[in-house]
Amino acid sequence: MLRRLLPVPLVLLAASVLVFALPRLTGVDVSRAVLRARVSAEVPDAATEARVAAEFGLDASAPVQYLRWLGAALRGDLGLGFVSREPVLDQVGDALAVSGLLTVLALGLAAVVGVTAGVYAAHRPGGPFDRAVGALAVAGVAVPEFVLAPWLVLVFAVGAGALPALGWGGPQHVVLPVLTLAVYPAALAAQLVRAETADVLTRAHVPLARAKGLTARRVLWRHGARLATTSVTSLSGMFVAGLLGGSVVVEVVFGIPGLGRLLYDAVLAQDLPVIQAGTLALVAVAVLAGVLVELAGLAADPVARSREAVS
Amino acid sequence: MNRWWVGGAALVAVAAVLGPLLGDPDAADFAAILAGPSPAHPLGTDQLGRDLLLRLLAGAQLTLGISVVTVLVTGAVGTAAGMAAGYREGPGARVLLRTVDVLAALPIILFGLLAAAVLGPGIGSLLAAVWLVGWTPFARQAYQLTVAEKGRAYVEGAVALGAGPARVLLRHVARNLAPPLLAHACVRFAATLLTVSGLSFLGLGVAPPTAEWGAMVAEGREYLFVAPHVVLVPSVAVVAVAVLVTVAGRRMAT
Repeated sequence: MLRRLLPVPLVLLAASVLVFALPRLTGVDVSRAVLRARVSAEVPDAATEARVAAEFGLDASAPVQYLRWLGAALRGDLGLGFVSREPVLDQVGDALAVSGLLTVLALGLAAVVGVTAGVYAAHRPGGPFDRAVGALAVAGVAVPEFVLAPWLVLVFAVGAGALPALGWGGPQHVVLPVLTLAVYPAALAAQLVRAETADVLTRAHVPLARAKGLTARRVLWRHGARLATTSVTSLSGMFVAGLLGGSVVVEVVFGIPGLGRLLYDAVLAQDLPVIQAGTLALVAVAVLAGVLVELAGLAADPVARSREAVS
Repeated sequence: MNRWWVGGAALVAVAAVLGPLLGDPDAADFAAILAGPSPAHPLGTDQLGRDLLLRLLAGAQLTLGISVVTVLVTGAVGTAAGMAAGYREGPGARVLLRTVDVLAALPIILFGLLAAAVLGPGIGSLLAAVWLVGWTPFARQAYQLTVAEKGRAYVEGAVALGAGPARVLLRHVARNLAPPLLAHACVRFAATLLTVSGLSFLGLGVAPPTAEWGAMVAEGREYLFVAPHVVLVPSVAVVAVAVLVTVAGRRMAT
């Protein structure tokens, strides 16, 4: 158990070094960048530049700067955004809440649709429903968000006029982005669940359960779909980081103030503190999601648990 | 059945290579702006009156070319790393696998954003992002396959005959790894295609006015309500190629 948690601080530490080094890699002169955001003068005078450098502690050596920065970061201070001049941690927190909502809804929808479609498809392998699910799942994996989003807007917002094309605030703004985000994980989940359930249904305990008098429906869901829950959990864990920060396309297309959009805007504006904080948050979420999924897998799967105890 | 997929892939490749010979994809016809299909412009024109068929073919060369090169490079590097780690398990292999886990757990778009922040958005940042992460699935796959192959009799036989690790891996193990890895490469090609065009859509890769499928969708999106065909043409191309390659890969795997 502890062995699995051990790499977490190491990964975070490595990420912090990279994130700290980011402004140095970009070749952006931080004090210049701040000055340019604050004053309109083309060439700021040397005294102002030195004052800003001192304000940001840029006059110290790199390791000292790193330790100072890390200390501040651990206390929850990642600095102010160059553009907004607000604490970046607050910005990231707000954005994370928005993206978190989208992620939870999209994964929930994907799990329900994917598991239902996959289990029923496995019920009659090679049947019309199975083939339809198979074809849709291939299409679902092949359609990227940047293609899906405009077409959903065209059909539902413009054609049917039922939903807003962009914006954020009410429940009506959630529908199209969540649909766009859910397609890919739902398609993958359907494929995975179908394969695993079809495999389980060929094993000996299934005819036994039928012989005991259980209905076909009950056997399908109690015995066939049992394994599927584990694999869908681990699949969801894989998607958490991708949806939280990777939904840049969806958040940009629909105008949603989430983490992906925050990072995207920060990259275009060269707003380094925001990029740093957003990246750290994303790495932390990804690593934690991975650990949680492994633990959930152990809790759900007695075979893996005993293997763990032996090793 | 397999011939269909090979034929489809060959057709796409020929179209991508020959496309630029048909005409200039950047030539503007101001008499036909946002026009629908016509004999002069079989797929219609965009907001500057540029021929969508020519842009589609020019984009095919760029989008598919970048994806092919990326899969070849990352496939070679990842397979080599995975095979070496699988054959000689030890601390080095464990570090490699952990690195793969961490890189694969993060969204590829994060690397696209960071590369754009460091290098400035463009083809360079796009390649940096997809190459930095693209080798990890190959490494994982090659590692698992090599671990499974290692215990088989033919490897033992080769070692007993005095073959060194390099010879065992390249002459013997690699041949048995090739079919599953080729199928995997198809899946990766589809994923890379979607990443490349997705980053270009966001303006973090190939930028307009260069014809690239994702960038074409981004440009056409402003005219979605007046002339949906401008978005439809590159959309269909991306999805069609992704489906074609995914299904071909699946056929290969079974």
